[in-house]
Amino acid sequence: MKMKNNKKSGIDLVTVSFIAPAFLFFTLFIIVPTIASVYYSFTSWDGLNSAVPFVGISNYKEIFTSARFGNALKNTMILTAFISVLENAMALMLALIVDHVRWGKNFFRSAFYVPVLISGIVSGFIWKIMYNYNFGAVNTIFKEIGLGHLTKDWLGSPSLALAMVGVVLVWKGAGYYMIIYLASLQSVPTDVVEAASIDGASPLQRFRAITLPLISGAFTINFTLSLINGLKVFDQISVMTDGGPGFTTETIVYLLYKVGFNEGRQGFGTAVGIVLLFLILILNGIQQSILKKREVQL
Amino acid sequence: MREANILTVRKKLKPAPFILLALTVFLTAIFLAPVFFAVISAFKSNGEILKNPMSLPTSFYLKNFQDLFAQSDFVTAIKHSVILTVVSELLIVCIVPLAAYAMERRQTRATKVIYTYFLAGMMIPFHLYMFPLFKEMKLFGIFGTLAGPITCYISGSVAFGSLLYCSFLKGVPLEIEEAAEIDGCNPFQTFWQVTFPLLGACTASMVVLNGLGIWNDFLMPYLALPSDRAKTITVEVYSFVGQYSARWDIVFAGTVCSIVPALIIFILLQKYFVKGITAGAAKG
Repeated sequence: MKMKNNKKSGIDLVTVSFIAPAFLFFTLFIIVPTIASVYYSFTSWDGLNSAVPFVGISNYKEIFTSARFGNALKNTMILTAFISVLENAMALMLALIVDHVRWGKNFFRSAFYVPVLISGIVSGFIWKIMYNYNFGAVNTIFKEIGLGHLTKDWLGSPSLALAMVGVVLVWKGAGYYMIIYLASLQSVPTDVVEAASIDGASPLQRFRAITLPLISGAFTINFTLSLINGLKVFDQISVMTDGGPGFTTETIVYLLYKVGFNEGRQGFGTAVGIVLLFLILILNGIQQSILKKREVQL
Repeated sequence: MREANILTVRKKLKPAPFILLALTVFLTAIFLAPVFFAVISAFKSNGEILKNPMSLPTSFYLKNFQDLFAQSDFVTAIKHSVILTVVSELLIVCIVPLAAYAMERRQTRATKVIYTYFLAGMMIPFHLYMFPLFKEMKLFGIFGTLAGPITCYISGSVAFGSLLYCSFLKGVPLEIEEAAEIDGCNPFQTFWQVTFPLLGACTASMVVLNGLGIWNDFLMPYLALPSDRAKTITVEVYSFVGQYSARWDIVFAGTVCSIVPALIIFILLQKYFVKGITAGAAKG
């Protein structure tokens, strides 16, 4: 599948000219600032002044001893676990029903995808209004169906707010992962499923013994994506709770943003970012090693 | 084939398809309810929204949109959103496919290293490098201009775009390109005139997925565009939430302006959304 004499390890002028623009943009505006971040994380840069005082590892020391970072780390882990699990469970269920429903497959698939199209800010705003204690749709519906005792100040309650943000993320994200599960489900060979059904396997047995192992590749990719996306949630938090009530929905990314822009501590903010990158790499590594082991190829 | 198999298995349990359909309709209603709520609220007065959030608008009420355009610089916001999305995508289509083509068709050890380098970049969160990035943008004189976000969107599309184009290129036969070269095309002509037109589905997939991300982006335009005037639709909606905290009707009119274009593109081009997501997932 290769063209002409390109077994060599070098690179010719034509290839360079094809790749150079993409390479330059990528390097200049992603890699260079990333490397600069490593440097700034050892400074007390305020983001405005040209002075960038070097402070050694004191930012990192502060990160690992401050209660605020500990709280943000806890919130981030809870939120990420919450949405990874629920998003995948919901997405798999949607994919299974779209795969099996007899009428209107395409319509239902599109309908479940619609929330994915909406921006984080807009979806956060819509739900913020729906969660409103006095006038929100959620409490209004509870009252109308006679479950008035279930009405709550959904975003104002410290114990509920993080989960309520999680619900919005699951609603918005599930359709994307559904598409991936659906493609994977459609590649499961029907003759194997049918043979099992002739041998007397129940639908649940067929699902567990045949379908589930064969879609394990989709599990790996979907859990990877939802993990990375979960660790980076920002928009919904900024519009729905601003990290509150108290600090109960302040995640690592939100902390990074607040210390960087509201408190003028961009050196500390970049150090938080570096810790976040390591967190992504470590969690992703653990997850890959668990999920890859379970993958089955046909 | 597959359809037929499902039908034969299904014949035994007759009520099942109807129960499944009912469940599907119920879930669809739940998934679409918030969108429906936003759209109907945009056509209701504030009083009506507060009184009964789920009631339908009683008339074709457009005052929210009139107020939206009269009380804010929303036209500028729409203009900015469109320019950022369209210009970024045009430039991305000029830059990314070319690189992916070279990495796939003119593969050497060096291009493989570059490919891995691009993919590794997907792990780096934007929030990590945004502070130094803004400083760098100031250095280049693009901070506070539309060129700033555009530059960053191009950079941010390189990894996923390369992945998508490389995976699609595997399905494009090599013989056509060889024939073109024999006919005297230089490598640029071969790519743009022969291969690129065959990659239409891939280009459409990348443009719709990537374009949606730009259209909906918040943090970049919020921080990198000048604050003396409207920025983008998403940023305006965000600032309304604080500014008009008592005028939900106006904010809902803004959200409809954000959702409707995305929805129209999706309805027209949905197969490319599906293709792009599945091709990206299969390779990632």
